[in-house]
Amino acid sequence: MKKRGLSDLFFLFLVLYLLFPILATALYAFATNWNNTILPEGLTFKWLASLFQDTSFIEAFGRSVLLSGGAVILAFIFVVPAIFIIVLYFPKYEKWMQTAVVMVYAFPGVILAVGLIRTYSQLGIPMILAVLGAYVISILPYIYQGTRNSLRNVNAKQLLDVAELLGASKLQAYLKVLLPAVYPGLFAGALLSFSVLFGEFVLINLVVGSRFETVQIYLMKKLSTSGHIASAVVFLYLVLMGILTISISILTKRSRGVAKT
Amino acid sequence: MSYVMIENLHKTYGASTVLSTIDMTIEKGEFVTLLGPSGCGKSTILRIIAGLTDATSGTVNIDGIDMQNVQPKNREIGMVFQSYALFPNMTVKENVAFGLKMKKIDPREIDEKVREMLAIVHLSDKGNAYPNELSGGQQQRVALARALIVRPKVLLLDEPLSALDAQIRKKLQSDLRSIQMELGITMILVTHDQEEAMAVSDKIFVMNKGGIAQRGTPTEIYTKPESEFIANFIGHYNVFTRAELEHMVGMKLPSECAKFAIRPEAIYFEAGAKNFHMSGIAIESVMSGNVIRTVFQSGERTFSVEQLHHRGHFVEIGKAYECYVEPEDVIELT
Repeated sequence: MKKRGLSDLFFLFLVLYLLFPILATALYAFATNWNNTILPEGLTFKWLASLFQDTSFIEAFGRSVLLSGGAVILAFIFVVPAIFIIVLYFPKYEKWMQTAVVMVYAFPGVILAVGLIRTYSQLGIPMILAVLGAYVISILPYIYQGTRNSLRNVNAKQLLDVAELLGASKLQAYLKVLLPAVYPGLFAGALLSFSVLFGEFVLINLVVGSRFETVQIYLMKKLSTSGHIASAVVFLYLVLMGILTISISILTKRSRGVAKT
Repeated sequence: MSYVMIENLHKTYGASTVLSTIDMTIEKGEFVTLLGPSGCGKSTILRIIAGLTDATSGTVNIDGIDMQNVQPKNREIGMVFQSYALFPNMTVKENVAFGLKMKKIDPREIDEKVREMLAIVHLSDKGNAYPNELSGGQQQRVALARALIVRPKVLLLDEPLSALDAQIRKKLQSDLRSIQMELGITMILVTHDQEEAMAVSDKIFVMNKGGIAQRGTPTEIYTKPESEFIANFIGHYNVFTRAELEHMVGMKLPSECAKFAIRPEAIYFEAGAKNFHMSGIAIESVMSGNVIRTVFQSGERTFSVEQLHHRGHFVEIGKAYECYVEPEDVIELT
């Protein structure tokens, strides 16, 4: 019992350690004034409201969604079909995919940014497109793991075989059987990738610069002008990430249900 | 002409030969089993029949049609897998109806046929359940119903009962056989369980190392194993060399064969006029329900005896016994 009490205590400290900065930031986003007191002097929605009245924030939010969402959509158009084909028909090439996945982690953001600038700045390709392309590659680990695990969980090859033996064409087998069976896993991978890209700062800032203002760059600018507004941005960001995390968790549970069969 | 004819089938993957010179004939409405250890090529034969794997050479002919250029979806073959392969996003009804929908059958007719098929597999009350809400046995019944509803010319069963516990497996074996007889469908079962093969089959092909080691009815396979491999694989046969057996029975054998097999239940303790006589010391006795299996030491060799379990253990470990076997139960192996 003593051991249990001690572990509970450590767990409580850990939770407080992790939650305290988040709660403090959230509280600061709603504080009227919080300088010489332990708790805020009052609460207000004005910082949050001012964010939604600021067109540059709305535009930055839109750019972040467009860039992150665009990269995820491109990955689903080009990368996911490739993973399907490799996992289902050419599993011997999976080792190359795994190498590519590891290489994504091997390149630090700064080196990647310098590489992108040196390679693409002289070719006349807009740097935002270069960043978009780099984003597609950078989410490869999440897309690859999500897709591969989903295909393995449902025993995809066998599902396709059965569907074909029951009279379905290859296209029908994919559209009516395989995609509906693996979509929770794919969608979870997409949400995870989106949330990772939404918080990305290094590449976009170094390669494109602050003229293409995303939420992260907007946040950096606001840090020097208003701590309350910066906190409100972080609060909104955390709410969005919370929603995405809950969605991923629900979808993952649904995938597990599929895997039981 | 037989309903299913497989001639001179070969399959190689690179340098390794998976199947060599497979010839099989199966009649319409027969329940045939491919029996063999893991990796002997039996599932590959099923996949070639289904068109899911190409043969390196050889032909598969079903109902008079050469299947070489026929797509899997046009072969009219059903298949049930060990892992059920149910569509997880569909209910039981939708799973069973899938094949009929692909054939664009009228929805009312589909409903009626699905209802009938679910009744046959005793799942009428589970139509709206999803696969992950069913037990393993129920899932396998759904897989069976889904394959049967399109009335395939041949139903292939790839170790369909291996993942189930013993009691459900026995029940499904019996159900499988009665459904096959009721519908008159030709079925080919792949299994490594010789008891299962004996229980359900009209004909058994025992496979080893990519070839057919022996073919025949269950009784023929069990009572007349042609090789040491079959004798060891099909049951608890005692296999002896000529020298070992001659030493044990204390006389020269009339046959010139090098190896012999004796079923453990063909050895008993009552002497008969023409019996061979062997003596041994009981060293181990295992009771497995209705059968008691006792191992005897005779010189350097051991042999086992199986007897029906009447009134508990009657063999005393460490005691010497006289055992007898009739000459016709000593099987010559090639």
